[in-house]
Amino acid sequence: MQGDPIVRDVHHAALPPLFRGMPELHPEKCPDGCKECANICPTSAIQIHPLQIDIGLCVFCPACEQSCPEKAIHFTNEYHISCSSRNQLIVAGTQGRITPEFAAKKIRDYFGRSLKLRQISAGGCNGCELELNATSNVNFDMGRFGIEFVASPRHADGVVITGPLTKAMAQATELCFDAVPAPKIIILVGACAISGGIFKNSPEIDRTFLTLHIIDLYIPGCPPHPLTFITGILDWLGRKV
Amino acid sequence: MTSLSVQNQQPFSIDNIPILSVKEFEDSLREGLQTQARMIGLFGLETTESTTTVIAVLSHSATSAIHLLGTTFSPANNQYHSFADVYPQTNYFECELAESHQIIPEGHPWLRPVRKQTVILDHQPYALYKMKGEEIHEVAVGPIHAGVIEPGHFRFQCHGELVYHLEIILGYQHRGIEKLLHNATPSQQHILCESITGDTVIGHSMAYALAVEALSNASVSLRIQVLRALAEELERVAMHLTGLGGIANDVGYAIGSASYGRLRTLVINSTALICGSRFGRGFIVPGGLQFDPIDDAIEVLKRNLHVVQHDVQVINEVMFGSTSVLGRLDHTGTVEKEWAQSIGMVGPAARASGIDLDTRSQFPYGAYKYIHLPLITLSSCDVFARARMRSLEVDESLRFIFDQLENLPSGSIQSEINAIRPNSGVVSLTEGWRGEIAHCAFTDSKGTWKRYKIKDPSFHNWYGLSLALRNEAISDFPLCNKSFDLSYSGHDL
Repeated sequence: MQGDPIVRDVHHAALPPLFRGMPELHPEKCPDGCKECANICPTSAIQIHPLQIDIGLCVFCPACEQSCPEKAIHFTNEYHISCSSRNQLIVAGTQGRITPEFAAKKIRDYFGRSLKLRQISAGGCNGCELELNATSNVNFDMGRFGIEFVASPRHADGVVITGPLTKAMAQATELCFDAVPAPKIIILVGACAISGGIFKNSPEIDRTFLTLHIIDLYIPGCPPHPLTFITGILDWLGRKV
Repeated sequence: MTSLSVQNQQPFSIDNIPILSVKEFEDSLREGLQTQARMIGLFGLETTESTTTVIAVLSHSATSAIHLLGTTFSPANNQYHSFADVYPQTNYFECELAESHQIIPEGHPWLRPVRKQTVILDHQPYALYKMKGEEIHEVAVGPIHAGVIEPGHFRFQCHGELVYHLEIILGYQHRGIEKLLHNATPSQQHILCESITGDTVIGHSMAYALAVEALSNASVSLRIQVLRALAEELERVAMHLTGLGGIANDVGYAIGSASYGRLRTLVINSTALICGSRFGRGFIVPGGLQFDPIDDAIEVLKRNLHVVQHDVQVINEVMFGSTSVLGRLDHTGTVEKEWAQSIGMVGPAARASGIDLDTRSQFPYGAYKYIHLPLITLSSCDVFARARMRSLEVDESLRFIFDQLENLPSGSIQSEINAIRPNSGVVSLTEGWRGEIAHCAFTDSKGTWKRYKIKDPSFHNWYGLSLALRNEAISDFPLCNKSFDLSYSGHDL
């Protein structure tokens, strides 16, 4: 009765047409002086002149697409949007997808065939947590690539952070990362972790931790699709599957 | 009792809330609590230099009435007689009020922080409850847990395997949502409400949308109401399947956890077909919906749900027919009905303890005004009842969804939102998959929020988990925890 629920080819899955992944921008369509999209954007992720969206800040709501009188913004269902540098998250045209640069050779040698991760929820709303849990279910089965979540930072090769980093989680986050043996990586998942997202102006958050460490991988979304997470890591590790 | 009595989502003028003396407030509130009313809010409405106005909100399921009454406190006169010694359901609300406004309930049995663990309440820092004894030992877990879940700290007082007491310390997820809402644009408010807890996007965004619509006298089409209810039931089915998978996993029943997980994927993928998000983000907005499902999507949705309905039946029979599974679920984590009632438990957890409580039938809103779902209760009050309750609710929700899909009303999916009424308020209740969600919204003279108070069902039920663990083996904690499946972010806000 199990059938065959598994997504065998993680790079060529068909997500629903309405799924909001990589945005496509057509600045040439923008009427002079129009700021509808920037005005309605809940996280101020959109800049005009030139038109660009910071998908590290974007919560992938349909507000800009729906408010645009000229259909200059469209979210495609492309889920390859993970990347290894913050700048890559600024989308300006119709580039199709984002591919992270390869990790350093040492990291690929160490973790290329086995990567164990410790997750830290630091103010996450349980949206990202549910999608990260889904990566391990029978549909996505991330374990087949040797990538797994583990129960202790002592067993981990890196941390996966969700949420805007609340003040109350600042110390625990630091302690947890300290407990991971080096070499170790940091992956930020979701708009909140990457930029603070909708909570970026909250007085209750403390993002000092992120300024003290190098971030290895950004997985944008609200929440990111499990395949964005899986393909992002595989591409970054230079894994052919 | 002296109060303003309103219905769910019925707007009122703030001036109509009786503001009583502290003594009258206490008497009136006690009178209400005596008649089986449940507290759903106790919070500061506004604070000036010299006074704080506090509003209490009670709901009465038998009459579908919601009662509001208020009083004022000043720094010199900041005390009232606690209700919690007689009505434990008010305990946590009194703690919340003390934490946020330094208004002290005199004679409170156990004043403790709710979200700010370092707060000073009644002139003394809070010390965690600790048992003493030669063989008593303490187990501390969290805030970071073994699984991919939200943070919270659990402190067990144990004697060997046996748990005498579990204290739950939350607040790690506090992002200041209520304050952020006050200064947010409409599009920001919508996203904030979807992010109160990301597993109850529909439940909370619905409560928010209904509150805004009530305060702006908007009326929405039947199509909007039915599609919203459909989304809410889809969310319920998906999260109940997630929970059942978790329970199966926690008793080491792999086929159950794999199967429920697979079926849940089908459900949330169907939600994404309709609105582009597996969790229903972006679907419900004040005034209507942002997506009108096309016929093709509805057809695929039906096909998917037929698979779910059929396969759930099979896996339910296998799981609930397995003696080794039942051996782990039966008589584990029992919260007797009287206890559940006295602490004000809500949702499937309350219904599993035999309490008739469901916002959809007792405070109907939207499509639930016209279309009814049966109110199911069970009586064994244990992990089995909470698991079985969820599987029964999956069946009912699927039946409801199929019925609605047979003849979806036609009509517009967006209606005009007028200006929001100034100096007014509304209490908006919805039944999220965890239970009663309450959004109490109040506007100032310009029609912007003066106070937006949110109560997630977890606010009541965390205490239920503590009680479930009493006299239970500590090794059963994950199972008991999963059977309640509570929200950290919804509690912490």
